[in-house]
Amino acid sequence: MSDFIVGIDTGGTFTDCVVIDLDGRISTAKAPSTPRDFSQGVLDSLDLVASGLGLTTEALLRRTARLALGTTVGTNALLQRRGARVGLITTRGHRDVIHIMRGARGVPGLSSEAVLHFPESNKPDPPLVPKTLIAEVSERVDCKGEVVVELNEEDTRAAIERLVAKGVEAIAICFLWSFKHPDHERRVKAMAERLAPGVFVCCSVDLVPRWGEYERTAATVINAYLGPVTAAYMDRVGRRVHGASLATPVQVMQCGGGVVPAAQAARRAFLTLDSGPVAGVLASQYLGQILGQKHVIATDMGGTSFDVGLVYDGAPVASYQSVVNQYEYFVPRIDIRSIGSGGGSVIWLDEASGSLRVGPLSAGAEPGPVCYGRGGREPTVTDAALVLGYLDPDNFLGGRLRLSREAALASFEPLASRVGLGVVETASGACRVVEHQMADLIRKVTVQKGYDPRDFVVFAYGGAGPVHASVYARELGAHSVIVPLGGVCSLWSALGAASADLLHIHEFVDIQANPFDPGRVNAAFRALEDQGIAQLREDAVERTAARIARSVDMRYKGQINEVEVAVPDGALDAPALEVLVADFHRRYESLYGSGAGFREARVEIVTYRVRTSAVSPKPRLQPAPDQGPAPGPDARAETRPVYWAESGDFEATPIFLGERLRAGNRVKGPAVIQVPATTIVVHPGQAAQVDPYGNVLIAL
Amino acid sequence: MVDIPHPVSVAGGPYDGVTFPYIPGAALAIDPRLRLHTDWTDKVDPITYEVVRHHLWNINEELGMTIQRISGSPVAMYAFDLNSSIFTEDGEFIYYGPYQLYMSGVSDVQVKWTLEHRSANPGIFEGDMFLSNDPWVGAAHQMDVTLLCPIFWEGKLFCWITNVLHQYDVGGITPGSFCPNARDAFDEGILIPPVKIIERGELRRDIEAVYLRASRKPYLVALDLRAQIAGNVAAGRRIVKLIERYGPDVVKGVMRRIIDTAETAFLQKMAKLPDGVFRERTYVEVARVGDRGTYQVLLTMEKRGDQLVFDNAGTAPQTGAINTTYSGWRGSILTAVNELLCWDQLYAIGGALRHIQFRPALGAFTCATHPASVSTAPVQAMEISLYPAYNTLSKLLAGDPQLRRDVMCIGGTSQFPLTCFRGVDQWGERFGYLLLDPMVGAIGAFSFRDGIATGGQVRSPICRIGNVEHNEQSFPILTLYRRENTDSGGAGKYRGGNSAITAFIPHGTTEIWHETESSGAAIPTAPGLFGGYPACTNAYDFRRDTDILQRFRVRQMPGDIGEVAGQEELLQLRQIDIRQGPADIYEVAFAAGAGYGDPLERDPEAVRRDVENGDIAPGTARDVFRVVLAGDDDTPSVDVAATAALRRQTLVERLGREPRAPAVRHPVVRRVTEALDLVSAAGRSQLACAGCGWLLGPASENYKTHALRIDRAIQTANPLIGDPRRFIDTEVAFRQFHCPGCGRLLENEVSRAHDPLLWDIQLTVDD
Repeated sequence: MSDFIVGIDTGGTFTDCVVIDLDGRISTAKAPSTPRDFSQGVLDSLDLVASGLGLTTEALLRRTARLALGTTVGTNALLQRRGARVGLITTRGHRDVIHIMRGARGVPGLSSEAVLHFPESNKPDPPLVPKTLIAEVSERVDCKGEVVVELNEEDTRAAIERLVAKGVEAIAICFLWSFKHPDHERRVKAMAERLAPGVFVCCSVDLVPRWGEYERTAATVINAYLGPVTAAYMDRVGRRVHGASLATPVQVMQCGGGVVPAAQAARRAFLTLDSGPVAGVLASQYLGQILGQKHVIATDMGGTSFDVGLVYDGAPVASYQSVVNQYEYFVPRIDIRSIGSGGGSVIWLDEASGSLRVGPLSAGAEPGPVCYGRGGREPTVTDAALVLGYLDPDNFLGGRLRLSREAALASFEPLASRVGLGVVETASGACRVVEHQMADLIRKVTVQKGYDPRDFVVFAYGGAGPVHASVYARELGAHSVIVPLGGVCSLWSALGAASADLLHIHEFVDIQANPFDPGRVNAAFRALEDQGIAQLREDAVERTAARIARSVDMRYKGQINEVEVAVPDGALDAPALEVLVADFHRRYESLYGSGAGFREARVEIVTYRVRTSAVSPKPRLQPAPDQGPAPGPDARAETRPVYWAESGDFEATPIFLGERLRAGNRVKGPAVIQVPATTIVVHPGQAAQVDPYGNVLIAL
Repeated sequence: MVDIPHPVSVAGGPYDGVTFPYIPGAALAIDPRLRLHTDWTDKVDPITYEVVRHHLWNINEELGMTIQRISGSPVAMYAFDLNSSIFTEDGEFIYYGPYQLYMSGVSDVQVKWTLEHRSANPGIFEGDMFLSNDPWVGAAHQMDVTLLCPIFWEGKLFCWITNVLHQYDVGGITPGSFCPNARDAFDEGILIPPVKIIERGELRRDIEAVYLRASRKPYLVALDLRAQIAGNVAAGRRIVKLIERYGPDVVKGVMRRIIDTAETAFLQKMAKLPDGVFRERTYVEVARVGDRGTYQVLLTMEKRGDQLVFDNAGTAPQTGAINTTYSGWRGSILTAVNELLCWDQLYAIGGALRHIQFRPALGAFTCATHPASVSTAPVQAMEISLYPAYNTLSKLLAGDPQLRRDVMCIGGTSQFPLTCFRGVDQWGERFGYLLLDPMVGAIGAFSFRDGIATGGQVRSPICRIGNVEHNEQSFPILTLYRRENTDSGGAGKYRGGNSAITAFIPHGTTEIWHETESSGAAIPTAPGLFGGYPACTNAYDFRRDTDILQRFRVRQMPGDIGEVAGQEELLQLRQIDIRQGPADIYEVAFAAGAGYGDPLERDPEAVRRDVENGDIAPGTARDVFRVVLAGDDDTPSVDVAATAALRRQTLVERLGREPRAPAVRHPVVRRVTEALDLVSAAGRSQLACAGCGWLLGPASENYKTHALRIDRAIQTANPLIGDPRRFIDTEVAFRQFHCPGCGRLLENEVSRAHDPLLWDIQLTVDD
């Protein structure tokens, strides 16, 4: 009997587990993450949630229809530089592609200060692959995909042998123009698998067949770097959960916004990077669908960072390039933008201008904010929230950590006297500064993509998000904030994994200017669709269950920036392709402003893309009956003095226990709602209401 | 800030941007009908200040990003050849974007010119924008088109936002509008003094038509104009919103405080630094086709109290196609000032500018009068104006232990080797453009670590090159290699970053036609600091009728031009109509980052790593760094004892005897540089070796005359430097100055043989 859907998200600090049963009831558990062997934390979280349900872990897993896993193993391996020893095989003459980094100094991964101040900046040191482990072979393909120099197999054999002799654990292969002619890379891959058994091998055309050798090489090298550790992890998780009687394959969350079976996840390990925050966006999409919210700004504020993703018209907004450890690499993914503003961001005074600054320095999880009492000395955003009375010192993280308001207050004193404000005003000002930083990031993410933030609802989750959301959302002009599903909002990515579909993304580059040749366009899509269907068949999904979504990246001829345009199903004829051009102009102007386009210019298709997906069984949330606007007496805690910038003073403020609020209950600001693992701050003039699913909605 | 013209070869005035450059006076003559918003409050709390400041920085940064996203030009896209700025109502810098820095450096004068010359007729009104590219008013060269946008509040001019964007082509005799063969400005792109192209929110089609008509790529220029307009409109709207939210006086108060804060920070730095005169000399070579001349550039920077004065007297007169105007010279210096002195204020240079004076020597080729050719300015005369400013400022900063960490040796491409090519591409269409690959650059060494190999252009903190696959899609070429160039960076205790080298053959076409344009190919233009060696020179290598295509057939890709058989042909630095046939290989190597400190002091283990990575050749390890390695080149190891002996022997060779310490060490007053101390000896200020304390004469004399000087061939300065006589008639010297006591290398000097010693650090002392 299959009763449960299980979503697990392994984060740096906690492993979150969400279990949803047939009736839509949600059970959750948080276990400490176990970086030495993350699979232990996965099992611990399952043990915890099972015992909460009164089941053994075996019984839970036996009745589990689907177990989806988000993992931070790749991110961790990159952070700690504990990935594989990678060898790279490239076209002769182009060894340094990944070192030159297009001459950009790895700037996209640097802070503004390091960008402007050269002595603070450097390329990644050590690099993911040193020059000594890059081997060149004779071969060459041109921009039309024609072979100029045949693959030199003697060179290739020598290259592989040299890398193996140097002890590489993984080999990445990337040749110039390989996406126009995959044969050379694939032949080298086959040779490497033969000559170097046990070594992880991957080639660029199998991962990101896109135009631009630096970003393609970087993706391939990152994948090789992460492949062996990810495979080992998948193997350990698999043994633990299947050993505990899970019958279906473990599904792994991908940054593209879907899941794939674990075996494939290991081959494309780079797709697991950032899959945690992406899962949060998927959960927002899923909940948005239930609530009829088509445009969602999904915001996640934790201890060290603030992540933003978008759902527009019911679909997550994607991007096709990302940055990790300063390397820019191609990757189709849900777009997540981050800044280092979190609860742990340090508050300081810029002496020269007398201005109060927050971050980018962070106290992180260790030592953490001053109020944690673990040795932190500089006041942080969390300390400010505590000083202002937003946080309950005795009830932080469900009471697991007792906070010291005295220590937090004391830490503000020297700062406040230098700023020339009171301690509380300084703390309040710091919150304002960080809330503006967050609003600014969201504004960039929306406006730069051609969206108006006023059309969106803001979802706020993560430990610190709901504390600040009603301010940053108000700054943006968004109409409301939703803190999702009460207690689940601090395990949001685990819910996202549980709600994800199987998804494969295939891409193909064939640059063509309009008027387009329908034959060429249709052939490109047909080939991509066939790949997607074949992939799903491997996942044991019937063709009839497959959903296909198609798009192209287009640009003005001679320009560099590309715009993604959706393409309808079926064969396209000349008029349909003209519609495509019109759609491009429209999308271009919505991005860059009316009048920005130039219709006289010719238009090019660069990349074709097909998303093939199969819908997974979804958790079905059950609405609860309306209990009227008045919260029950058990939902009220004692009042607490809370500082409100609006009045410039502390006020005895009603405190509510979120778990005991019922559907339909209303809370008028000023008020504070405490839910497990986070706190919702309702400012004066705002009102919060609990909806039938347990979401807290704040109208701005 | 005061600009004092001091005519050297041309009599002065009027400085109105027609024949002579526009040089604004201390007070601007603005028509009184244009009302300026001058009210502001200093009562802004620290939180509001931070919130509004953050907004202003973001508005400016986003202005640049918007343009970059919409722009059509590959120069703009890959090289981020654009910038954005915000000014007060009267043209004082608030923020300066992080893109191509010199572009903002030339924008304030354009704002001021517009205020003085357009406020009466046609008037400056809400919703107007002015288009400008005239280098005598203030543009760097004709392709850098500025769009100036006044922002109004309640009928008063509140502030300005501007953006500059490099255009694909604005006319002139060479496609792309870099005209290395121009006789004067009349051979170059269209010149437009500020003209009202947006009138009360409406694009003037008639003006636009005039502008587009000159271009070979009018569609792309039109798209770019829309990008520039869209950027200004969005940024202007945000500023108005900010005013609505916080009030005009608060926003203006924040703007003022940004400038005042930056001024305070600048003054604090100046207070720590020694007074003195700092000089740098370098050269441009070959001004026109057939020329074999060299043209001196002299930059004198005086630091007196809290004032800095820059002077280019001694620079050669304007000539050929190597010039820049006054604004280009000044804008280049602002770039160096911003990066070395104002980085902590996010490039808010307005405060520093209140204490900086410029003394342009009009008629010098770095301050040319109309109608000199200036289309190559940013890659030639402006670069050669910029890099000496890094060295004078670095020599000043070296005098303070904290600020020494901001020292940066010359990097980028200190002279850009142009590859202008044209023909019919692989898609059957005509093409004509330039290879942007030299933008890959290199960053020079720092005072505490190595520079950054292929780390881009210093003058543009955010820049990049296209992928080889991008180049090969756009142009009919097959790139044989594009790699980091071994030994290209300057040697030193800390190495300058290596640059790159690339080679290609025509592909998909039968021929390509080339024009070269380079300087810094005979005389290196990235000299090191404090004993650091120069980076390599630029180099073209051309081989005709090679066996490359036969090699392809037997599955061989050459890794270097030296591997193929073919006829070597020396390309001159300004040569036109070079035909490249299908089996002709064209190679170009770019100048790199300079080194810091005596190479003998480099950690031998670092030298071993350099060899292992191929960053330096094994021979360089021994000949320049004096490190003895054992084992093969793939896995070398340091022979510690042999290295110590070789280094000791090198000192003995320099001195002609064993190193010897002075009998007395005099008390140090100040560390002046890595190599020099200011000491008090015999009752007066003297310079001394920072290593052993050996006296190098009174501070009122050039320490170089008291040092042990050894002159060597310029080819010994860097393994990649060739014989200068291939391009110029002048002899070039590499002068090395050592401590007569311990033999330590104090400084190097790259000079024409007949030039006198350069007095690079002349401290002001009381005695």
